Amino acid sequence: MTTATITGSQTIVTRIQERARRTPGAVAMRHKDYGVWQEIAWSEYWTNVELVAHALLALGVEAGDRIAVHSENRPEWLYADLGTVAVRGITVGLYPTNPAAEVAYLLSDSGAKILIAEDQEQVDKALEVIDECPALERIVYIEPRGIRGRYTDPRLLHWDEFLFLGLEHRDAHPDALAERMAQAQGSDVVTLIYTSGTTGPPKGVMLTVDNVEFAIRTLILGGGFTSPPPSERDLILSYLPLCHVAERAFTVWFNAAAGVQVNFAESIETVQANLREVQPTILFGVPRIWEKVLAQVTIKLESASWLKRVTTRFWLRVADRIGDELVRTGGTHTAWTRVRYAVGWLLCYRALRERLGMRRVRYAASGAAPIAPDVLKFFMGIGVRMHEVYGMSENTAIATANRPGRVKLGTVGEPHPGVELRIDEQTGEILTRHPGTFAGYWGKPEATADVVDADGWLHTGDVGEWVDGTHVRITDRMKDIIITAGGKNVAPSEIENALKASPYIKEAIVVGDRRPYLTALIGIEMDTVGEWARRRGLPYTTYRDLSDKPEVRELVQGVVDSVNSRFARVEQIKRFSFLPKELDHEDGELTATQKVKRRAIAKLFEEQVEGMYR
Amino acid sequence: MTVARDIPTSRSRARRVRGRPLLYTSYAQDMALLDTTAKRAWTFVLVVLAFSLAAILQDRSLEVLAGAYVMAIGAIGLNIVSGYAGQISLGHAFFVAIGAYTAAALSGPVDGRTIGFGLAEIWIWLPAAGVVAAVFGVIVAPLAARLRGLYLAVVTLGLVFLGEHVFKEWKSLTGGPGVGREAAVPELFGIRLNEDGPLGTGEQTMYVLTLALLIVFALAARNLARSRIGRAFAAIRDRDIAAEVMGVPLTRYKVLAFGISSFYAGCAGALLYSITGYVEPGSFSLLLSVQFIAMVLIGGVATVSGSIMGALFIVLIQPLTRSLPALLPVISSDTTVTPNVYQVETVLYGLLIILFLVFEPRGLFGIWIRARTYWKSWPFSY
Repeated sequence: MTTATITGSQTIVTRIQERARRTPGAVAMRHKDYGVWQEIAWSEYWTNVELVAHALLALGVEAGDRIAVHSENRPEWLYADLGTVAVRGITVGLYPTNPAAEVAYLLSDSGAKILIAEDQEQVDKALEVIDECPALERIVYIEPRGIRGRYTDPRLLHWDEFLFLGLEHRDAHPDALAERMAQAQGSDVVTLIYTSGTTGPPKGVMLTVDNVEFAIRTLILGGGFTSPPPSERDLILSYLPLCHVAERAFTVWFNAAAGVQVNFAESIETVQANLREVQPTILFGVPRIWEKVLAQVTIKLESASWLKRVTTRFWLRVADRIGDELVRTGGTHTAWTRVRYAVGWLLCYRALRERLGMRRVRYAASGAAPIAPDVLKFFMGIGVRMHEVYGMSENTAIATANRPGRVKLGTVGEPHPGVELRIDEQTGEILTRHPGTFAGYWGKPEATADVVDADGWLHTGDVGEWVDGTHVRITDRMKDIIITAGGKNVAPSEIENALKASPYIKEAIVVGDRRPYLTALIGIEMDTVGEWARRRGLPYTTYRDLSDKPEVRELVQGVVDSVNSRFARVEQIKRFSFLPKELDHEDGELTATQKVKRRAIAKLFEEQVEGMYR
Repeated sequence: MTVARDIPTSRSRARRVRGRPLLYTSYAQDMALLDTTAKRAWTFVLVVLAFSLAAILQDRSLEVLAGAYVMAIGAIGLNIVSGYAGQISLGHAFFVAIGAYTAAALSGPVDGRTIGFGLAEIWIWLPAAGVVAAVFGVIVAPLAARLRGLYLAVVTLGLVFLGEHVFKEWKSLTGGPGVGREAAVPELFGIRLNEDGPLGTGEQTMYVLTLALLIVFALAARNLARSRIGRAFAAIRDRDIAAEVMGVPLTRYKVLAFGISSFYAGCAGALLYSITGYVEPGSFSLLLSVQFIAMVLIGGVATVSGSIMGALFIVLIQPLTRSLPALLPVISSDTTVTPNVYQVETVLYGLLIILFLVFEPRGLFGIWIRARTYWKSWPFSY
């Protein structure tokens, strides 16, 4: 192991190098291979990073070159990311679900020189569009199955050969990496995080060493999220795409800064099982995940035997009341809730949390999109300390968070220390200013100028308001606010999330801009509604067939009515119709982060929308 | 991945991660017999309880329990060949007899009425009984390699009749029907274990000895079941042709299954009669085989703890059936009168086998598993 003397800026790479030196044998991460969680020690982690870095040097990567990674979460993702940062390169993450056309856009927009692709599927996408990406010189593939011995493209390189290059380079130039690392500067861009692009083509958010270091100081070491701050004893499950700023923070930065043990889920389908095995102590999820867990509890409960159903229903009602109480106190237990929780823990919550994989969660967070308060309350009630947090790629995910013990449901919490946050008096837009503000959109200075003003304030595009002077409540995305024909301003996301809190509804899109009343396009949750239909003896074939059933319509009407009763007259859904298909990233209806592209949907389902206003 | 594999790790041996019973970081953890703290604790409690019974119970009850433990060893043996490897054997009584007579002959007095070699040390005659029975098992096994299912059952049934005849006629070894001979004498380094001595009463010593042996045999069987051999057995049971295609040599493993099973049977036979001190050739009839089959089926096919439960169940209902004549005068305790308790017992075994096969094919163990799953899956049903 060559030991580089640290003369350059402290980066995530030097942090890992330091950990490998101090605790070489401790577990840095685990990944499941052949049915067993294989452990990777810090020294192994560092050696891999070193080899990747040397390999990149061998391939002629200069400071500022872009290295794209197109893979599911796995150790190699981290090796590639850290190796890139070590040679002062820029990591560009691609979503594994990105179709070839988007891969072409991301590779050519970023001008990536080397692509690290996970398997044949991703390699095929890249080869399909390689002519549109002139800068791309090499494709390194991790899984050789289907590629080695069959593909003859000279630009292909197996991960093993890639590491071997690094090995040779390290033997020939043992000090090369240390020299490159010593040149690292605070203003070095370390990664491009592409925005999800709900309204236009994705833009690459440039985050620098300083941005990341500020995020580490504020969110992780400073205890901006967890309290007490995370440590080597904490476990995390890495399952959301690493190209998203939130998962990058929770996986790569938590790991590098605090030594949190990262466990890679096998795939997004196995998250439930992997959660049970790993029982993480820190858990981050997007609203969709939490909604799905809640829906799962509902389905499983309905098919449980009589005694289990009755007791669990009873304790969930108690949990609901405990949740109400916790909402009032901001997350601190009172003596009475403690007693009820203790009894319920013995009879229900302990087992339930164990089944959900949240038995040992000491800090759970929801972010990246708005969530219905009822969903959060459910988790608080069963004893999972749930916190809604807020941030975006452009401010390195640093804005506000609900602190343990000071939770205000329905808000995204208080600004972190060291963060300036104000709400524009005229537009109600939330503005932030701190050292974590990004360096600009990659290759789009005009777009950057649109969101960062001369004083350094970042315009988030979210409309919000202060609650009790301390917490921030977000109304909606500025562009999504609906102005009805009657001139009323309506925030659709609040209504949509209230609808989505029902286990039977997966997607809800409220329509009504310049219309006399509000309507909604609703997509049912196939699993739960299917189970519901099965128990009623309703035969069905496809998604479409199921949603066309009058009984299902009645079921959803019930949900809509109950949601309507909580809103003012102008904010009520007068009519709704079902989406004829499940929304999909490939079909351009969702972004890679599963956010709905409103404009695309309005166009695709024009007929349904018009039908509701006839 | 060659380079990746060459990267040295300074990580020490894989350890369990605290409080995560499902997170296995090595196959050894995945395969561990007692993989959770709770299991370890309960097993410990159970073993301590079983040993402490020696000081709590009456000598009469201890003798019954010691008999049950020995029967459990035999049942585990049958479970290996029939439960794990799926080779139906009705000839278990035959191998038990081989063991009983080998041990009796070895430990019997040199100048006695029947054959004897005067080697009363248990560490000599117990393994010898097992080995001789195993040899017979290995001799019989090639039949199993050629036959399947019903045919194998008939052939092994034939063994019982063959054995019964030989033992009745070979008077110099067995003493002849109705007469019998003294069984193996349990002696350890010159101390008679079935007589009152410094370690307690004879029954207490025998109880502790049989319990200890049961634990050893049960552990060995559990370990066998989770080894390569155990997996090969299961493959043969589930589909022998498929197993062969996967590269499991059928003959070798069938011979092995019969050998190991017969070893258990031989040891059980040797111990069983050393408790009572007397062995009669008529005891090794089909009824004994049926008893073992009942233990396996009632306890649980292909489970070691099931075999033990089954053996305890079958042996412990005997005191109940024996007390029937007092309650129901119709049933006699005299073997010459019909109906008598022994007939009732036989009918009861048959009835229990039918009931278990119909309502709980996985036996007592299945009931336990069901109860455990019910609570493990709380608050859901799956």
